Amino acid sequence: MQSIFRRFLNRLLGKDKKLKIGLYGHPNSGKTTLANTMTNDWLGKPLGLTSEIPHETRKVYKQERVSINHNGVELDFDIIDTPGIATKIDYKNFLKYGLSEVEAKERAKEATKGIIEAIKWLDDVTGVLLVIDATKDPLTQANITIIGNLEARKIPFVIVANKIDIPEATPERITSVFPQHTVVPISALHGENTGNLYDAMVKRFK
Amino acid sequence: MNSLKMDFLSSDALISRSSMEKVSMIVERVKNGDLVVIEGGLSPEEEAELIETTMREIDIENFVGIDIYTLEKDKVSLFGLSKKKIVGLTIIGPANIMKTVKKKSNFISMIANIGDTGASMR
Repeated sequence: MQSIFRRFLNRLLGKDKKLKIGLYGHPNSGKTTLANTMTNDWLGKPLGLTSEIPHETRKVYKQERVSINHNGVELDFDIIDTPGIATKIDYKNFLKYGLSEVEAKERAKEATKGIIEAIKWLDDVTGVLLVIDATKDPLTQANITIIGNLEARKIPFVIVANKIDIPEATPERITSVFPQHTVVPISALHGENTGNLYDAMVKRFK
Repeated sequence: MNSLKMDFLSSDALISRSSMEKVSMIVERVKNGDLVVIEGGLSPEEEAELIETTMREIDIENFVGIDIYTLEKDKVSLFGLSKKKIVGLTIIGPANIMKTVKKKSNFISMIANIGDTGASMR
């Protein structure tokens, strides 16, 4: 009887709603690397391919039923790895990575579609990890637009200051620019400080 | 002669327009190579719509997207007890011609690349 009442109460409060955590950010900020680290940690397999060429992820990838058990607290969710959001895409930028002109143009076309898909997913995610490359300027239009939309839609989020393994990384700059939000410095590539991230996720999304 | 057209729009000019009308108007102008300066800012939803519409309009050879820069100003509450930052000015232009040289919270210095010539805006 008590469990029926609890289920009813949870439904009423929206607590039984499936948790869908979207990974958002600029191209090459390390979203898929982070998604892979998380699925490797908790499922024992990677989610997607990574590359140094921007816009490697051009479709939304989804991993259902990830379960984090951190410090005795369990968090069940789906990971939604989204293509990087940008305001411009110039195929010529891909040429320097050795792509042919045809490949570069195709990649640019696919990337535009990926960005539209990523924006549309803002309607469906229930939590977000905003992944920011800590070696770059965090005050970009894409980051401002993502944060503005998350605030307007009241979607809880954690800012991930990624790539702290690189000497030029300044995660404290991200904290100073977004002082009102939770910022967790990590290296998704080396799994550094991911425990702190899981801790923040449990606190923010549970 | 290469030239750069700049359109300055007051907040009054935009207030009666729907979000879709605002975004279409901006993208249409920027796609033509113009630079649009708006008094105030767009809402987060309009910004997302602007990026989405831009992505639909990108044609690989001629229009590679947009660059957006904003200047903020302080807004003091009714009784002067608190203040918060709001967008005072938004500059939107074609990504292939806009090149920011310097940006601070109250200052933007920008160079526009127009063919072989260059125009400077400060």
